[in-house]
Amino acid sequence: MVMNYPGLPTTWGWIVAACVAAIVLWALTAPTPGTAGERHLAARWRLGRTPLVGKHLLRLTTRHWPLVVLRVIMVVLFLLIIAAGLFGSPIPQRNIATVFTWNIWWTGVIISVVLVGTVWCAVCPWDTLARWLVHHRLWRRPAPHTSLNLRVPRYLKNLWPALFLFIALTWLELGAGITVSPHATALLALFMIVLAVASQALFERSAFCRYFCPVGRTIGCYSQLAPVELRPIDRNTCERCETLDCYYGNEALPPCPTSLVMGRIQQNSYCISCGNCTQSCPQQNIDWQLRPPGVEAMRGSRPHWDEAWFMLGLLALTGFHGITMMPFWEKGISHLARMIGDSGQLLTSFSIGLAICMLAVIGLYALAVGATRFWTGAQLHYRHVFASLAFVCLPLAFAYHVAHNLNHLVRESAGISSVIANPFGTGTLPLCLAETSQRLNHLLIPQTMLHTIQASLIIVGFLLAVQILRHRLQRMAQPGRGHRTALLPMLLFAAVITGFHMWLLMQPMVMRM
Amino acid sequence: MTLSASRQLHAFLLLLLLMASSRMALAHHVLGRPAYSLNEDSNTPPSMQVETQIGDYFVTYMVFPAFPRPNEPGRINLYARRMDNNQPFPGQVTFRVRDDNWFHSNEETLGVQPPVDNVFRQNFQFLKAGSYIVSASFEADGAPYIIDFPLRIGKPSAVGPIGLAVAAIVILLLLVNLIQRKRLVRDRIRHAHAGDKDRTRSQKQRP
Repeated sequence: MVMNYPGLPTTWGWIVAACVAAIVLWALTAPTPGTAGERHLAARWRLGRTPLVGKHLLRLTTRHWPLVVLRVIMVVLFLLIIAAGLFGSPIPQRNIATVFTWNIWWTGVIISVVLVGTVWCAVCPWDTLARWLVHHRLWRRPAPHTSLNLRVPRYLKNLWPALFLFIALTWLELGAGITVSPHATALLALFMIVLAVASQALFERSAFCRYFCPVGRTIGCYSQLAPVELRPIDRNTCERCETLDCYYGNEALPPCPTSLVMGRIQQNSYCISCGNCTQSCPQQNIDWQLRPPGVEAMRGSRPHWDEAWFMLGLLALTGFHGITMMPFWEKGISHLARMIGDSGQLLTSFSIGLAICMLAVIGLYALAVGATRFWTGAQLHYRHVFASLAFVCLPLAFAYHVAHNLNHLVRESAGISSVIANPFGTGTLPLCLAETSQRLNHLLIPQTMLHTIQASLIIVGFLLAVQILRHRLQRMAQPGRGHRTALLPMLLFAAVITGFHMWLLMQPMVMRM
Repeated sequence: MTLSASRQLHAFLLLLLLMASSRMALAHHVLGRPAYSLNEDSNTPPSMQVETQIGDYFVTYMVFPAFPRPNEPGRINLYARRMDNNQPFPGQVTFRVRDDNWFHSNEETLGVQPPVDNVFRQNFQFLKAGSYIVSASFEADGAPYIIDFPLRIGKPSAVGPIGLAVAAIVILLLLVNLIQRKRLVRDRIRHAHAGDKDRTRSQKQRP
């Protein structure tokens, strides 16, 4: 029996619509962002100065052992997942490989960005295992000749590889149905390890994390909205620094794996929170800081063509995720398969559906960018406007991604205790109808609270998108030309996407496991 | 721009050609994503079960046992009812099987089954372990209906993927090690040569 989760009630739809309308009105009537706003955006709070816990936090981030311990735990868990996937029960609900990977990790890792930015990358078992295998060191600076240390070819020094891998991951997850196969989940984990080891063995530093990892790049992109950042405490100290230990490392510690110089860092995207800089800085000038959410996307991040496509890809693929879990999706794909004569696992029909969804979002965005460029009146290259405004997509994608994942996490983590007790699912039987219903009704938080959080996320996402749009457009618009008129196309784009996301959340969603 | 447009046109024409040449065009076709289920109200063993809507029909099929093994008998039960009036499908269902790979060529017919108490029952027994696609097809109101679902016989190999991954990593690391050793030796020789040249130059410069 196919089970569906109930969607958000219609009341929430009206509330979100009213909020969106109010935000649009405000954006069209409010004065352009000025110096008062800039001052608010520049506000920072050093976590190391937090009363009572600050001292301990500082101690934790400047020592190597807390991260090493966490990495060891993650690697053990990761190996357990591979073993369970290969040798355990094929029933997805009874095997830790599928339950933990798809219900807990894949949903939780995106939610974690809200609170801790890119911290997942610091304990990621793919990179940790690759570094251990290639450099034979748990944490210290590796010997210089363990890797070929080749420079990443110019044509790979961008986010295109990560975007293609992300599309491939989505295809495997939703098209090939890897989420319901513990064996396939384990194979994917092994493949990622081979990829990470190959990259570590061939290229300098952690090229895998910087250019190829679809999960790392997704977290990196989203972390531009995160309320935390790892930054220098005093930029002048960095200006005077002659050793650049953060970039080169020192005798004991490795350099920044993604080639960042902390004195010049502007965005979270490529920081993997590994802590090398906090530990190696001779002045202890690097600390975690709290900041207004989204500030980086508003003004800190520089627009790049490949990053813009990645953000657009995120927006399209998150929406696509939602569509495939709607009851009408299977029917639609079946119709498409009938039209094109697709057979077997209907992968061609699925791929066409995926391409259509991506093209629809890209086309809509391209149109909005074209109209904005026309109304700004500035002689800007289309490519530049395209890359600059892509930051608007980020909060829209992130808000829906978190709201959607929250649904999975709250509703599908009911069986986690049983798989922890029996990770391989040895001797277990499939779920019976009563157990399935029981799990469906067992929510981590009350349903009303879940709906409130989901709707709030969509509103906050739209608000952030509008704020980013106002700041980005202010930089581009020609003085004296209608700044407010120029806001309209992208406001409309953001409102349409938000409306679509809200509509998806209001639909009943098919239970994944 | 022209080249890209012509490529797009070629791709579109190719797609049209593929669509036109397909034998299964206009057939109602659906992929069953398997789920394992257990009926707590009866003493039947766990089954692999799929429920799906296809064209005008609501189709349910079950595979017993849930995890069939080679040389052990198994059974497929298929139920098909019209969605508008809940009437069971009265005709015959053909069950076929093929290997689950990209280049499947060997398709065998398992049997053609009439309904018994509105259930189409198909027995099977596979000799070899592997991944198969079972295809149940029938014709209703002049339209063909095809339902494919994957069937795993026996357990998939666990050692193979680990062996492949470990072998790939070991070969890669050995290759890197060899190249780095060669590099080191080359660097040492180069340094030694540079040292010799410096020494000769300084001897020549000596008065």
